[in-house]
Amino acid sequence: MRRFARSKMATACAVLGSGALLLTGCGSGAGSDGEAVTLSYLHRLPDGEGMTPVSEIVAKWNESHPEIQVEATKFDGDASEMALKLETDVNAGTGPCLAQVGYGEVPDLYVKGLLQDVRSEADRYKDNYSEGAYSLMNVGNTVVGLPQDTGPLVYYYNEAAFDQLGVEVPTTIDELSEIAAKAAAQDRYAVAFTPDEAQYWLSGQAAAAGDNWFTANGEEWLVDTGGAGTEVVASFWQELIDDEEALVQDRWGDEFTQALTDGSLIGHIGAAWEAGFLLDPLDGTEAEGQWRVAQLPAFGESATTGPDGGSGVAVMKDCEYAEEAMAFNDWFNTQVDDLATQGLVVAATGAPETPEKMTRQFGGQDVFEEMNVANAALSPDFVYVPGFAALSAMNTTASEAGEGSVPVAEIFETAQTTSVEALDNLGIAVADN
Amino acid sequence: MSGNGLTGFLFLAPFLVLFVVVFLIPIIVSIRSALFAQVASGGGLYGGGELVDQFVGLDNLVAAATNGAFWKGMGRVTLFGLIQVPLMIGSGLFLALLLDSFIVRRVAFFRLAFFLPYAVPGVIAAMMWAYLYTPRLSPFLEYLPDGTNLMAPNVIILSMANMTTWTFTGYNMLIFLAALQAIPRELYEAASMDGATGFQIATRIKIPLVRGAALLAILLSIIGTVQLFNEPVIMQTVNQWMGNDYTPMMLAYNSLMGQVTPSGSGPASAVSLLMAVIAGALAAIYAFAQRQKGE
Repeated sequence: MRRFARSKMATACAVLGSGALLLTGCGSGAGSDGEAVTLSYLHRLPDGEGMTPVSEIVAKWNESHPEIQVEATKFDGDASEMALKLETDVNAGTGPCLAQVGYGEVPDLYVKGLLQDVRSEADRYKDNYSEGAYSLMNVGNTVVGLPQDTGPLVYYYNEAAFDQLGVEVPTTIDELSEIAAKAAAQDRYAVAFTPDEAQYWLSGQAAAAGDNWFTANGEEWLVDTGGAGTEVVASFWQELIDDEEALVQDRWGDEFTQALTDGSLIGHIGAAWEAGFLLDPLDGTEAEGQWRVAQLPAFGESATTGPDGGSGVAVMKDCEYAEEAMAFNDWFNTQVDDLATQGLVVAATGAPETPEKMTRQFGGQDVFEEMNVANAALSPDFVYVPGFAALSAMNTTASEAGEGSVPVAEIFETAQTTSVEALDNLGIAVADN
Repeated sequence: MSGNGLTGFLFLAPFLVLFVVVFLIPIIVSIRSALFAQVASGGGLYGGGELVDQFVGLDNLVAAATNGAFWKGMGRVTLFGLIQVPLMIGSGLFLALLLDSFIVRRVAFFRLAFFLPYAVPGVIAAMMWAYLYTPRLSPFLEYLPDGTNLMAPNVIILSMANMTTWTFTGYNMLIFLAALQAIPRELYEAASMDGATGFQIATRIKIPLVRGAALLAILLSIIGTVQLFNEPVIMQTVNQWMGNDYTPMMLAYNSLMGQVTPSGSGPASAVSLLMAVIAGALAAIYAFAQRQKGE
């Protein structure tokens, strides 16, 4: 009888709502009469082994700020589940004061009425963050919080394997294509095409190539996922797939790791946050310490990179103590060394010390110095639209494109139709192209 | 209220409270939610930062019923059910008959062993199978003919049917075993005195007498099949081509998560209701057909 087993997920969904009761509401203390204000903060940082846990960082704040006490709670689950939890909780009046939100989710959560405009507070802290990251916490003229970490696209490569091939670090995608061809001749891959990451990964590349998929046309959205930059991205991958010069594997499948450990994968365009764990499988093998990180090879004329994930801390709608919440928000997100131990490429300016683990895995390279350069090169113009989550449909098309059953360009057609549908569905105006 | 009435009500109360809280209220809430859509009211690029519940009548249900993805998903689970349910019920019955016969010793051990897969949490089992099916990682795939891909679009339903059968055969066996043990032993004694063989006892007495149990097992399986979720979700994480709407349950879940359009609790509830209606209708048709046959 499968009914019970399968309905577990449904039960979990129902529990999600009632679980809200466990969280203390926002600001249970009274600020005005001198008593301490209590702020709740919901995050989904990994808190893994060897990292400085969020609770420890928050404890430091609480000790030095008796008047603003913060209660941090870790959410165990994926980003889309947390977004749903926030929606349920805020609508029930039990939402937290501060919450970690992905940049791609910010417009959606704002449209759903879950976030507060804290522009006046945020402006004070603006200079502490990279411009591109700060802009991702903006919704039109509204600012909803501060950025925490960024995911500029970078290029990871195995230096020893590159030396063997006699090639240099690529600075343009044309050079990268040549390297991929040389590597493929020896049954190795200098790039991987990862369909399960297509949504953020390819939109980030389109941004790097200079495109903005979503622009304002007065009071309407203009959606154009077929610009010149996107075409460059499409033809780059199309050739690599056609010539079998890219490893076509899901990023989160075991076969990707297998290709990494057996040495067939020697290069990978990935998000900066992957540096925290990408090379873990190579620990203790011959390849330990052979990899390096470099800037994303230029897709266009300028050396711009695009955003692939990352998140910020937003102030939720019903938070009564926005000023206090933002003071903590800024303090927390500028604890760069502590946050770096969580594997984050922090959005705050100033390169943190590269953790010992990364130094070892990247053969002594100052990884965060390199990430800081990427951070600064992040396209400040690319914005996400409400309903962007639905663009995960791109992953399905990307999977077909990886197998060669549809052209790569069709991934971007999926992006076009899905975004228009998602906006329509939310009752938001879209301009005709 | 008389004393007796109050006592009776008190005995009923625990059931009634739970029934209302975990059954009635969720159903009413989801029916209500299916009649509303969440739309931005304020205009502009970000809809004024406020969503309102707009009454849309049957629009969500009509959209769900005319959604090609929904019916494609329904087609997949139907195909899955047609293959998997008879296989699983047949094997469950076969195992139960074996354990109920005198052929097997140490019945308690085998009963537990066959049932054990059901004790493995569904998601864990699905992950384990996904690993076994993955080329280059699977310990047995290399012994199969070259190019065998157990996760290719045309065989993945069979692969998932295999996962489900592995998990639930033991469970169904228990249903049959319980029914078999309720049959009076005198019947077998009388039959063997009349010269019936063990095989004849099984086919002429045991199987006809567990028809009630079979009906229950099949009804539950039909409902379970319509709600197919764990297996395809795990398979989808390693096979992106399956999409977010491979089965109707995935469509409902991902509508709620904003991963497919139209999204929101309205469209998600509409899909769930439609599934409930279809599962209910299928179960009713099957039960009715069985009763007709019985008479």
